[in-house]
This record gives sequence, C-alpha cells and structure tokens, in this order.
Amino acid sequence: MLARIALIAGLLIVLIAVPPFLGIGWQNALTNMLIASLFAMAFNLLVGQAGLLSFGHAAFFGVGAFATLHLMGAIEDRIIAFPTPLLPLAGAVAGILVGAFAGYFATMRSGVYFALVTLAIAELFHSLAPHWDGLFGGEAGLSSMRMPWAGLTFGSPLQVYYLALGWTVVSIFLLWAYTRTAFGRLTLALRDNEQRVRFMGYNAHTTKVIIFSISAMFSGIAGALLAVSNETANYSLFSTHVSAQVVLHTFVGGSTVFFGPAIGASIFTLFAFYISEVTRTWLLYQGLIFVLVMLYAPQGIGGLVQTHIQHWSKISWPELGRAYAVAAAVAVCLTSALVFVVESFAIIFSPEYAAVRGRLDGAWPPFKLFGLEWEVFSPFTWIIPLGLLAVGLLLLPTARRMLRETWNHILERAEAARIAKSEIQLAGAVES
Amino acid sequence: MNREPVLELENVGKHFGALKVMEGVNLTIAAGERHALIGPNGAGKSTLFNMISGMFPPTAGEIRLRGQRISGLPPHEINRLGLSRSFQITNIFHRLSVFENLRIGVMARHGIRYGLFTPVSRMRTVNEEAERILQRVRLTQRRDHPAGDLTYSEQRALEIGMTLATGADVILLDEPTAGMSREESQRAVQLIREVTEGKTLLVVEHDMNVVFSLCDRVSVLVYGRILATGTPDEIRNNAEVQEAYLGEEVA
Amino acid sequence: MEFLIISTLNGVTYGLLLFMVSAGLTLIFGMMGVLNFAHASFYMLGAYIAYTVATTINFWLGLLVAPILVGLLGIFVERNLLRRVHAYGHAHELLLTFGLAFIFEELIKLIYGDFPVNYSMPDYLRFPAFTIFGTDYPFYRVFIGLVAVGMFVFLYLLLSRTRAGLVVRAAERLPVMAESLGHNVPLVFMGVFGTGAAFAGLAGAVAGAFFPTNPNMAIELGVIVFVVVVVGGLGSLEGSLAASLLIGLFSSFAVGLDWSLAGLLSWVGLGDWARSVGGLFTLTLSSISGTVPFLLMLIVLLVRPAGLMGERN
Repeated sequence: MLARIALIAGLLIVLIAVPPFLGIGWQNALTNMLIASLFAMAFNLLVGQAGLLSFGHAAFFGVGAFATLHLMGAIEDRIIAFPTPLLPLAGAVAGILVGAFAGYFATMRSGVYFALVTLAIAELFHSLAPHWDGLFGGEAGLSSMRMPWAGLTFGSPLQVYYLALGWTVVSIFLLWAYTRTAFGRLTLALRDNEQRVRFMGYNAHTTKVIIFSISAMFSGIAGALLAVSNETANYSLFSTHVSAQVVLHTFVGGSTVFFGPAIGASIFTLFAFYISEVTRTWLLYQGLIFVLVMLYAPQGIGGLVQTHIQHWSKISWPELGRAYAVAAAVAVCLTSALVFVVESFAIIFSPEYAAVRGRLDGAWPPFKLFGLEWEVFSPFTWIIPLGLLAVGLLLLPTARRMLRETWNHILERAEAARIAKSEIQLAGAVES
Repeated sequence: MNREPVLELENVGKHFGALKVMEGVNLTIAAGERHALIGPNGAGKSTLFNMISGMFPPTAGEIRLRGQRISGLPPHEINRLGLSRSFQITNIFHRLSVFENLRIGVMARHGIRYGLFTPVSRMRTVNEEAERILQRVRLTQRRDHPAGDLTYSEQRALEIGMTLATGADVILLDEPTAGMSREESQRAVQLIREVTEGKTLLVVEHDMNVVFSLCDRVSVLVYGRILATGTPDEIRNNAEVQEAYLGEEVA
Repeated sequence: MEFLIISTLNGVTYGLLLFMVSAGLTLIFGMMGVLNFAHASFYMLGAYIAYTVATTINFWLGLLVAPILVGLLGIFVERNLLRRVHAYGHAHELLLTFGLAFIFEELIKLIYGDFPVNYSMPDYLRFPAFTIFGTDYPFYRVFIGLVAVGMFVFLYLLLSRTRAGLVVRAAERLPVMAESLGHNVPLVFMGVFGTGAAFAGLAGAVAGAFFPTNPNMAIELGVIVFVVVVVGGLGSLEGSLAASLLIGLFSSFAVGLDWSLAGLLSWVGLGDWARSVGGLFTLTLSSISGTVPFLLMLIVLLVRPAGLMGERN
C-alpha cells in the first residue's frame, strides 16, 4: 500500500514538474493523454466494474464537449459569467443527464443487446448532429474561445494542460473512491451475478442506470476537457472511431485492473504522438496490438503487471529472465520483420510513389527506409525481413514452451503455498 | 397450529403457454414454522419457489406475506418485505470475497442501496453484522478468499449465509443439501437449524432424513398439486403419499 | 409515380444487397452467439479482391475469386482466432472481431490508399435493362438483385433440403445435443462462418463495381447491417430478408422526401409554431434518413429484442 502511494505521488510530481520543460507539441500530447486516460477510466467503470460492454461511449464524450462549447460561447458573448477552470462542469452535467436517459433504456437489455443499444445511441447522435445546426453546429461544428479568468489567460497549452491535469486527477480519485463505497461493491456484485443482487433486495435496473450515469458523467468531463483544449468540436466526436478507441485503450490496458485503462490510454496516445510523425500506419499497429492482447493476454497490460506483483515472491527470476529473453528476441525479430514489410508497403503503395513512377514511365525507383535505399524487386531487400521472420518463427515454439513452463512452476509454487497456509489455519482452528 | 399465518398461497396456478405446471395450490405457513416441500422431480417445487420469491408471477391465485399480497411484485420488493431465498444451483458472487458476499446482503438489510458517499469500511454496524454471519456459517477461516474458490459445501453454507444476511424472517431454502455427502448434509442441517432459529422456514428437500429431522410440517407436491400437508408422522403414514411418492423411493 | 417506381426498384436492389451481407451475420449469430463485427469487412475485402483481379485479369474471374478467398479467410478467422478466445466468453469474441475489423480497414488503407478506387463493371454490362418514364434503368442494378435472389435460393435449399443444412439447423438450436449425437459441430461452425464470409465477399465483389469501393465501405455498411439483423431478429434468415428490404426501401424513399415534424404539426395548425422553434421540428426526413434506421433499431431492441421474426428474446 505504501509502495503504491509512493508510486502515485512520484507520478504526480513528474506530471506536475516536467511539462514546463517540454515543447508545445509534447504539452498538447500530454493533455490528450490525460483526456484519453480519464475517458477510458470512466468507460471502464461500466465495462470493467459493472460488466456492461458499451460500444457507444462516444455519445457521452461528445455531449460533454458540445455542452462545454455552448457554455464557452455564452461566456464569450457575455451572456453569463463563469469561471473558466470550472467549464468541465458543463460536460459533467450534460454527461450525467444524457447518460441517465440513455442508460435507462440501454440497461433494460444485457449482453450483446446492451452493446447494440449503446452502439445505436451513438450512431443516432452521429447521424443527427451534422443536420442539427442549433445544437451541434451542423457539419462544421461549434467553435469558441477560452476566456481569461482571475488573471489566468488560459492562452498557453501549458495552462490548459494543468487544467486538464487537475480535473483528471480529481476525477480519477473520485472513481477510485467510488470503488471503496458500498455502491462500488454492489457494482462488482452486479457484474458477478445480477440475479442474486435482485433477490437480495436491490433494484438491479436502477442500480445499473446510476452506474451508467456516473460513467457518462466522467466521460462528459473528458469530452469537456477536449472542448476546452481544442476550442472546437464537430459531429465526428460521435463517430464509431471514438467509441472504438476507448475500447482499444481500455482492453489493452486491462479492464480488470483499476489503473489499467489509464495505462492503455497513455501508452497509445503517447505512442501515437511520437510515431505518427514517422508513419501513417500507426492505426494498423494499434489494431494488431489489440488483437494480440485479446488472443494472448486477455487481462491486458495491467493484468500482466498485476500477475507479476501478485506472485512476486514465487518468481524464480533467473528462470523467468531466460524465458523473457528468448520471448523478447522472438518479439524483436517478428516485429522488425512486420514493421519493415508494412513500412515498405506503405511507401510502395503510396500515391507519392505512384506519382514518381509516373514520371519515370512506370519504372520502380528504389525507396528510402530506415536511412537506407532499397530496390523494390531486389531479393536482397526482402531477405532481411524474411530472415527475421524465419528466425522469429523458429524460436517461437521454444519461447512459448519456456514461458508456459516457467509460469506453471510459479503457479504451482503459489498453489502449494496457499494449501500449506490454509492447512495451518485449519489446524489452528481445530486446536482453538 | 394456531399461530398467526405468515405466508399464504391461495389457489395459486401457473401455466407456460398451453402447458399447465401448477393448479390450485393452497398452502399456509405459520410464524416460526419449519415447513418442508417434498415431491418427485418435475412436481413443480422450484416453480412454486420462483413464484413466491418473485422470479415470475403466478398466472392465477394470490400469494400473501403477512396478509400483504406479494404475487406479481419484483424480487427485490419481496425481499424488502422480509422474504429471502437461496438457490438450488449455487448462486453467489464468485469473484468477490466471502466476506463481501455476506456484506452485500447486510447492506441491503440496512437499506444502503445507493451508498455513494461513505467508504464501506467505515460502516461499523454493517461490517460487524457481516462478521457475525460469517462466524455463524463457520466461514471465518475463508473470510478473504474469493467465493468461487470455496469447496462445494462451503459454498452451500455461504449461500445460506447470504440468504440470511438480508435480515428476512421468512427463509426459503432450495435443496440446501443437494449433492452433499451424509456427514456434510448432517452438518448442514445442524447449521440450518441454528441460523434459522426464530425464523419461518420453507425448504425444498429430497433427502427424507433431512426433512424428517429438520421440519415440523411437510407438504407433498405432485404434478403441480398439493397432495397432503401434515406433520412428518402424518405424511409418513399417509397411504396416498406412500403410493405417489415414498413408495417409489422404497421400490 | 416516377419517383415511386424508381425508388421502389432502387430500394429493392439495395435491400437485396443488404441481405447478401446480413445473411451470414445473422446465421453466425444464431449458431455461435457471436456478433461478428468483422463481417462487413469481408464485404469490403471482397470488393477490393475483385477490383484487383478485375483490373489485372478479368471481371468475372474477380467475382469468382473474391468469395473463395474471403471464405477461406473467414474459415481461418473462426478456426485459428475465434476458437482461441471462446473460453473467455462472448464479450471477448466480440472484441476480437472488433479488432479484426480495425486491422482489415487499416490494411486496405495501407495497400490501396485512403480514397476510393476505380472499380467498375465492364462496359458491356453498362446498358439499360429497360426504360421507364424516359429514364434508363441500369441493368447492373437488376444483376445485383438477381445475384442476391440466387444466393437466397441457394441458401434456402442448402438449409432445408440437405443433410448438412439439417445439422446446421440442429446445431443452431441445441449445439450440445447436436454434438452428442455425433455431429462435428466445430466443423459446422467453421463451415457456416466460411460460407457467411464468402457471401459477404461475393456481395462486395458484385456491389463494389456499382457503388463506391473505399476503405469506409465496411464501417458504413456494417452499422446498417447491424440494424438489419437486429430488426429482422438476430439469427433469423427470413427476418433478415424482410428487414433488408424494409431498410432498403426506406433509405431509397427517404432521400426524396422533405417531410418534417413541422410539416406534420401544420396538419393540426401548429406548423408555424414548430417552424419558429426550429431544431428537431424542421429537420426534414431526407436529411435525417441516416438516423431513422438507428431509431428503428433502438425501438426494436427495446420493445421486441427478438426482432420481426426471431424466436428468442
């Protein structure tokens, strides 16, 4: 517990102290990271804790953003006075209201049907917004300006970042506090067994509507922060891509671990910022990572970390180290091969390359990748990825066997320890 | 028996589409009574339980709890009126700790249904009561284990504990000793007797030893009708019952 | 009158196209309980494969190759990916197919670019089937409809007249029972998944030559296909057909109608008031034609989740 508090405090200090020394690009990226993290955490309240898989959370994210822009517009036009730092309250209110309404209907269904209702709700917004000028500004969307308040101009990305940081930290703290309350425990019980909850005197539907609304409220705050940061929003906020991103972030990060979704969102947004200047194929890698996580680590990155911490004392590090070294070698080989092929294809199939070929009467000029020139039809070009692929595939069964055996050993030791402990307890119980 | 009736079933019937599974069931259970419901498979015991506890409404007749009509109410409202049930197939929160399973029930007893503003760890009465129930069902050693990791008979004990935790004084137990060995089921009977002290009990049971040692009255349900109701001795000596039900067991 | 007939014809052909894609989706859901988010991707892949073959070799070969390749891909997905996550439950299966849809879209963007490709029918198919009210009605639309009808007949005969179809129907209702009777249910699942994918691929190959072929076609059609299978009743083939035609006709009629709530209210004398309020009241049906299917889907999900013809709730 102490270690965890220290870790969070350290992280907070870094988040507060480091950004002033970063460029504007990074400051913006960090703001987006915070927004995505909060959105994923809010989403996971519904998905991870209550076990309700939503495919339409973009609806509440977007509603929060639009509500905030309306408020910003009213402040700008001097219709009302409102402290700029509290703008996200508009997102929270809009989120909880729309969430309660949508949630009332969505939670009448469960499983796939629940997912479909949420999907349809988001699509409803997405298809309606571009035609509804008054509320969503039509296809162009709404724009507004952040107004200065109490001597703060909110003109620089750094100030916006701190605003987002404050709101994100407070929101995530509240989400954590939620898990400690009686209702938070009831949420977990509901995920495990809705029927029993009903037979223990709880109104399951009302409970689910409240959970849904709270999740929508925090999603609305995340959307509001985006509106404050970008000073604009349009109907594309309601698109399936937004709903899809939060699903990806949450499950790659790990929906069963409290901070998992934030981990996933942070890794993905920062990686996207860092890499998207280099390649436009980032989304493809994102999809591949997601599918690989679903296939081989369904608990996500957070789940993997948690498993290691849980069995820390039972891990034989030399054995695990060897297994991880081999696995890492395989991963490096396969990833390099994949990245090489994907990036080459991205160049060869690009319109720019086609234009160059056009000027050269259809000849295939060499392309530049990783600082070198490669001939398209030279076997030498493709021997490298094929070689890496072959080495990777050759080592893959070994790596998998080592990982499986190592972890079996760890789990066996953990199980043995557990049995020994409960035998001691039982013996104690008999004596007493 | 001249004690006050707590649970009354009057002409209760149920059909699913054209299929009639129950007709004209009348049953009165007095306060503090331990009543067993027996009958061959498919007689409609579970259907009756489901109707009383609100899983689905009866298509005919009326069910009353302390004079108040409960037929047609949703399960959570019936529970709040003081009737709680267990399930034949263990129905617990598998990923929550044993203690948490019980605490969910205790929270309900205290009406903490939307408790969003106090950490549950600070609710002293709730935690103490949950600990007490934990002791009564003898699961203190397993307090912090996930309920899904318990042995079968431990889970059955937890199931009973959860049924009690909501504070109801009319308890419906659906085959509490199903699938247990003789010793396990003896211990379970002892536990049930202890923890339902002073409460009204309606129990579905197949094991005649359990029925005759636990209950003061027995009803026999056959093909969706009550064939007979009486003391264990009366039921044992009832020719009709022997033919329809006990005879099968002997043969 | 002209509007009526042309819209009906267009609506029916579009509806039949929707059916070609939704048939597989609904069958797969009915049998395996998996809502396959990647199903519309099969449609897109079919279009792109057919485009590639058509531009390098021959249009008709494309129509043949596309469903075969896409069907094989479907089999691979079911056998090697879906089965692996089956143990983690339906939510994980859903998420996996969702991730696959994501990957397919990005792969297409990688190779063909994030813009429409010029996939079109050969010139000799570019003739009017008939002329109506002075307008030529393209033969190719009729062709799309014929392929869909052919597929429906084929599927219907397969399911109702063959042994394999009998096993499929048994496996759909009681998978465990079918398995214990000695039928190879995993093989049946694989076959249905592959067939469904192949049909979606065929639909893409045929329709892609008429409608735009671009990387967004999967997601655009995908959500509409979800509407179709929900409205028709998840798992019901006949329901899917009815819902496809319904949505198809609606889409084609709505485009030409400028009805609005304000117009409706003017019947009771509130038209001017409604127009002065604006907002929702003055949105015309044509501008929200994209919204209505989702509204319909919501209503069906909330009122009758079994859909028009589904049996299960």
